[in-house]
Amino acid sequence: MTTTIAPTTLSRLSLGRVIHSEWIKLRSLRSTIWSYAIIVLVSLGMAFVLSSALSNPDFGPIIDSPEHTLIQASTFGLSFGVLVVAVLGVLVISGEYSTGMARSTFTAVPKRLPALAAKAIVLFVATYVVGLVATLGSAVVALVVLNGNGLQPAITGDVISSILLACLYLSLVALFALGIGTMLRSSAGGIAAALGLLLLLPTVLMVFASVTQAQWAVDLIPYLLTNAGESMFLGGELELWQSLLAVVLWAAVPLAGGAVLLKRRDA
Amino acid sequence: MITAQALIKRYGAKTAVNNINFDIKPGIVTGFLGPNGAGKSTTMRMIVGLDRPTSGSVTVNGRAYADHAAPLREVGALLDAKAVHTGRSAYNHLLAMGATHGIGKARVNEVIGMTGLDSVAGKRVGGFSLGMGQRLGIAAALLGDPATLILDEPVNGLDPDGVLWVRNLVRSLATEGRTVFLSSHLMSEMAVTADHLIVLGRGSIIADAPIAEILAAATGTSVKLRSPQAPALATALAAPGVTITSTAADSLTIAGLTAAEVGEAAARAGLVLHELTPGSASLEQAYMQLTENDVEYQTLAPALQEVSR
Repeated sequence: MTTTIAPTTLSRLSLGRVIHSEWIKLRSLRSTIWSYAIIVLVSLGMAFVLSSALSNPDFGPIIDSPEHTLIQASTFGLSFGVLVVAVLGVLVISGEYSTGMARSTFTAVPKRLPALAAKAIVLFVATYVVGLVATLGSAVVALVVLNGNGLQPAITGDVISSILLACLYLSLVALFALGIGTMLRSSAGGIAAALGLLLLLPTVLMVFASVTQAQWAVDLIPYLLTNAGESMFLGGELELWQSLLAVVLWAAVPLAGGAVLLKRRDA
Repeated sequence: MITAQALIKRYGAKTAVNNINFDIKPGIVTGFLGPNGAGKSTTMRMIVGLDRPTSGSVTVNGRAYADHAAPLREVGALLDAKAVHTGRSAYNHLLAMGATHGIGKARVNEVIGMTGLDSVAGKRVGGFSLGMGQRLGIAAALLGDPATLILDEPVNGLDPDGVLWVRNLVRSLATEGRTVFLSSHLMSEMAVTADHLIVLGRGSIIADAPIAEILAAATGTSVKLRSPQAPALATALAAPGVTITSTAADSLTIAGLTAAEVGEAAARAGLVLHELTPGSASLEQAYMQLTENDVEYQTLAPALQEVSR
């Protein structure tokens, strides 16, 4: 019996190739393009509105430094952007389960974890780049408006690092959502869980803390994903390393849980 | 070569695959036949590692599928025609699948051509008919030019042209020395496509043999004859284990003897034969006999008839 086909060593599976595959997948879906386009457009619009408002004495006294106003205006849109990215992060994996694509993916990458790792890397990098486009574009819009209104913010190291950290927060929220989606495998459930943790949990905990006066609940509030994330670039109760660590954990824990379940369950 | 050893898959209390063993050899088409729910798809999913066996093992060319350096080069699988993201075009789907193994545009275009998808390759898969979905699934299976092909119900939803195309494709792939493992619930399709059959019922293997052998073993294989001296022949042929039924004044149906034995007996008795026909059971009959006790979802037709009478 002869086998005419010899597998060539040139075409074996590798993480780099799986990353390439996931990049093709991400860019070939309309939902990705729409999500990212919305993030950029909303961010530009918010930057215009916020910088106009904050630099106009008619709306109230100008209390912040021009630099802090610039940071706020450039990153304001991302507080909406994280919601879009949370939906996208869930859909990147849950969309594969709902359509059956997951079976093709895990037939091509039967060890499974490289596929999840590749999804995470591609999603992280793409989201970071989109975040940069959105925030830098917003910074330009805000600079034009602020200069026009007589405030002349300097582009300090603080401004740059805040913008970079805001984009990091956006990308980590995408990973957080990817982890949730991997664990739940359902679009509806995954989106509900991710948005619930992002939007609802801070309010729920706040109400709980004020009703019960429980100190632990009060102490916990700054570590919630949204609060820790925003304090990464806007400042807050936490040190930078504390808020950064909190956000990284918010992303890492669901991803690790997803990885364990992915390996254990039938695809 | 696909080898299953003591393969078991349970979902909770339900045993989908119950301790099966088989070797699927290269160079021939092996058919996988069984009623719905018999465990065919589960077995195929375990071969490519989508489902984890509860116990036992299944290997492809000596190794678990996931342990191969280039899985798509080893095995091409069509397990579900709609294992594709509906929002992506067929071309991009194949490109993404191939990219995991460094398989590029040239090969993607080649399999698109081979499966006749040229005109729809740029369209999103969500709008595909079942037949186009099957062609895309087959294209994906062929991407890595694999030595082993696993096709679950590949002719499902195809038009007659498509059925013929799959049949020829599968035959030529086997002729090239590849291992081809094909499931179908269409017995007639198996009869013309497969060389070897594995019949599964309620998770267990009922038969694992060349098609010809399965047909020959089917009980009820009978010989028909016509003779002006039918009554005398009936007397001459009577023996223990032989059943003779008279269908008309000049014709008999004999079970338990081969056509050769009947002819020789007639010659010894000096009786005239006008016709002697060995009746081979159809694969369909053979299959029904094999699986009659192993059907998961049996219809209640006889009981209903009883009531309506």
